Amino acid sequence: MAEPAYTVASDSDTTGEEKSSSAFPEIAIGIDVGTSQCSVAVWNGSEVVILKNTRNQKKMRSYVTFKDDIPSGGVSHQLSHEHEMLSGAAIFNMKRLIGRVDTDPVVHSSKSLPFLVQTLDIGVRPFIAALVNNVWRSTTPEEVLAIFLVELKAMAEVQLKRPIRNVVLTIPVSFSRFQVTRIERACAMAGLHVLRLMPEPTAVALLYAQQQQQAVHENIGGGAEKIALILNMGAGYCDVAVTATAGGVSQIKALAGSAIGGEDILQNTMHHLLPDLEILFSKHGINEIKSTGLLRVATQDAIHKLSSQTSVQIDVDLGNELKICKVVDQEEFEEVNKNVFEKCESLIIQCLHDAKVQTEDVADIIVVGGCSYIPKLRNLVMSVCKRQELYKGMNPVEAAVCGAALEGAVASGISDPFGSLDLLTIQVTPLAIGIRADGNKFVPVIPRNTTMPTRKELAFTTVHDNQTEALIVVYEGEGEKVEENHLLGYFKIMGIPPAPKGVPEINVCMDIDASNVLRVLAGVVLPGSRHPAIPVMEVRMPTVDDGHGWCVEALHRTYGSGLDLVTIQKKI
Amino acid sequence: MDLGFFVVSLTLLFNDFERWRQRSTVIRCDNRRAGGKVRAEKNNYYELLGVSVDSNAREIKDAYRKLQKKYHPDIAGQEGHEHTLMLNEAYKVLMKEDMRRHYDASIGQMRVRNGTNYSGVAYSAWKGPLRPQALFVDENACIGCRQCVHHASNTFVMDEALACARVKVQYGDDEQKIEVSVESCPVNCIHWVDREELAVLEFLIQPQPKEAYGVFGGGWERPANVFMAAKSFSKQLKQQAATEHYQTRATREEETPAQAEARANAIRKLKMDRFSRFQNWVKEIFSSNMLSRD
Repeated sequence: MAEPAYTVASDSDTTGEEKSSSAFPEIAIGIDVGTSQCSVAVWNGSEVVILKNTRNQKKMRSYVTFKDDIPSGGVSHQLSHEHEMLSGAAIFNMKRLIGRVDTDPVVHSSKSLPFLVQTLDIGVRPFIAALVNNVWRSTTPEEVLAIFLVELKAMAEVQLKRPIRNVVLTIPVSFSRFQVTRIERACAMAGLHVLRLMPEPTAVALLYAQQQQQAVHENIGGGAEKIALILNMGAGYCDVAVTATAGGVSQIKALAGSAIGGEDILQNTMHHLLPDLEILFSKHGINEIKSTGLLRVATQDAIHKLSSQTSVQIDVDLGNELKICKVVDQEEFEEVNKNVFEKCESLIIQCLHDAKVQTEDVADIIVVGGCSYIPKLRNLVMSVCKRQELYKGMNPVEAAVCGAALEGAVASGISDPFGSLDLLTIQVTPLAIGIRADGNKFVPVIPRNTTMPTRKELAFTTVHDNQTEALIVVYEGEGEKVEENHLLGYFKIMGIPPAPKGVPEINVCMDIDASNVLRVLAGVVLPGSRHPAIPVMEVRMPTVDDGHGWCVEALHRTYGSGLDLVTIQKKI
Repeated sequence: MDLGFFVVSLTLLFNDFERWRQRSTVIRCDNRRAGGKVRAEKNNYYELLGVSVDSNAREIKDAYRKLQKKYHPDIAGQEGHEHTLMLNEAYKVLMKEDMRRHYDASIGQMRVRNGTNYSGVAYSAWKGPLRPQALFVDENACIGCRQCVHHASNTFVMDEALACARVKVQYGDDEQKIEVSVESCPVNCIHWVDREELAVLEFLIQPQPKEAYGVFGGGWERPANVFMAAKSFSKQLKQQAATEHYQTRATREEETPAQAEARANAIRKLKMDRFSRFQNWVKEIFSSNMLSRD
């Protein structure tokens, strides 16, 4: 194909691009942007190496400080003390805030963070600001993430002595496609091109596939399929995957995820220590920020200690004659965080059920992520899977980034003479995608856990006689009603030939390619005719931008049910 | 890059039109993008995955993974998209017991129909004039070593689904090459046969669906000794032809009185019809003459 004379960057944030056509493909680096910590890894030609920053750290805290004119992130910046991060000038937990509207409960639970998260509860993006010299300076999660990524990029460029453009990022399973576009936006702001976005447990699955492949090479034979259950729980999200691995191919069978994690555990425990935390913090003054910061650090320490001790003594002076002096034991801790563990359990059960896998068939259980050190979580996974032990071959905090680096090498077209890169992940869709039809119902066109790439279509029809227009509203999620799902976009089909209701057939086709680009096509066919009655519409989703919480209401107000659709019952 | 995207989207559109037209469950895809390696008509899931029709779940899984490693867009780039879609569809159908049964039934019927309609025409084409001798590969014996394909690539092809060689074009290469390829066969499964026998042999060597008894004994089979089978099949064909001939003659002789009457009526009616048409024609001319006179 001839190179086009000029290229225009697509209006959407990614270009859905294939790999570069040069003879020496650039190896994409893998980045694991965690809610609290972040790491970068790359395939160096024979193995995956994790890059270290100038302070020799593999894991860098994910935060950006807006103290001086130039914001600085956790890659280059040295915290003089843990409390500095909690002074109000630093923004962190951006992964929990990115792409969420201010009606989202996750945003509300972030209000107790030591920076400003203001909500108006109308379905627009929340107002986020850092305290700089007693001034609330506004920013966005995308901006914070971009600043952080720029630092990561600079660090990697120095170490690898080449410009970095392509990256593979890990994302939580429960991210909607709108959130994914926000991540891509942040990468674009940082001058990075997203080659792939992998759900975190699938990156772990790829690493597992490589380890299995190597094990097979070492002791000849026995390359049978192995099923593994992967639980990845970090500070912000808990994700579960079931994968079937054989011959270096990791075939994801099911995914499940939710926005619960170490942050929820931390907040539950903080509330337990100081029940009227909200009241104390509502003023958002410098003193309040300081005292919650102190409490946060003390609670965090205590939780870390509880991973190895049965009880811990917490002594913290929050100022204002408020002192906390308490002993918390493991049982108490587990009771306080009961809801979190219950949610994890239900995710595991759901994932096994979706994968149609019995617990006896699971060969390995892999628990990774920052929360994998919590004894309760480990016990819980083992009891659900009826096992005595967990898989030991992985570093819990490095697994995801290593998997991302492997995917980066594979997707960049690198091959390894020793077959270490003879790998592939076959991904599935984490959430169902469908349209609004049959009244206010969500009708999935592509169900959850469908192997990607995929193309599916479903036929709908009109609800009114001589209906010439129809509204296609695309959602993503699991809820039966449309409101429970994420809006991805909408468009109108016009010029449907006048016909009685139920006669025109409106075909909605959805196509997802391996780089996870979703295209929605809609066309009209009249019975007896073989060709679409009007030109087919093709729309790349998501098309919604900020403030999309309003859109559905506005559409409903303007059109009512005049442009509705219903599903066609399949004749058997 | 944008150009590339445009082409992809056009193909998508093309496919959708195509599919809306077809209204079939089988996904038809435009394979030109898959590097032309896959024939467009290759929508048989078993052929696509390169497994035999009686393969078990594990074999299908292995084949699927192997092919995914070749065609998945992570490895093959955007070109692999269409092919991977087909692979996913094929895998989904063949891995689910009930869906596979339906699918088997659908293609099984197709095969059976072809089977009873033995065409009498050989599968292989001829290059140049017809000769008394023809080449035939006994696919039961073939071990799929590819020697013959290597030596005479215009004559022999590999059937990747069944992993055996087959004659595509009779005398597709020069005599010397063909001789070398016949000689090179390690199991001597390339035979010179009479031209008349060729069609029967080539028909019989194709796997045929086996009659199943409930859930038992289904699947596909081909005769163990194709030459013996060909002899008996030819005999059957001759007998069948004879009985058919007899039957047609018999029906002609047997005509019930009722049928005779019906036929007579029909003939009469036809004549009447012709007559009435003539009448109408006369009437028309007459009336038009009247009009013109007025």
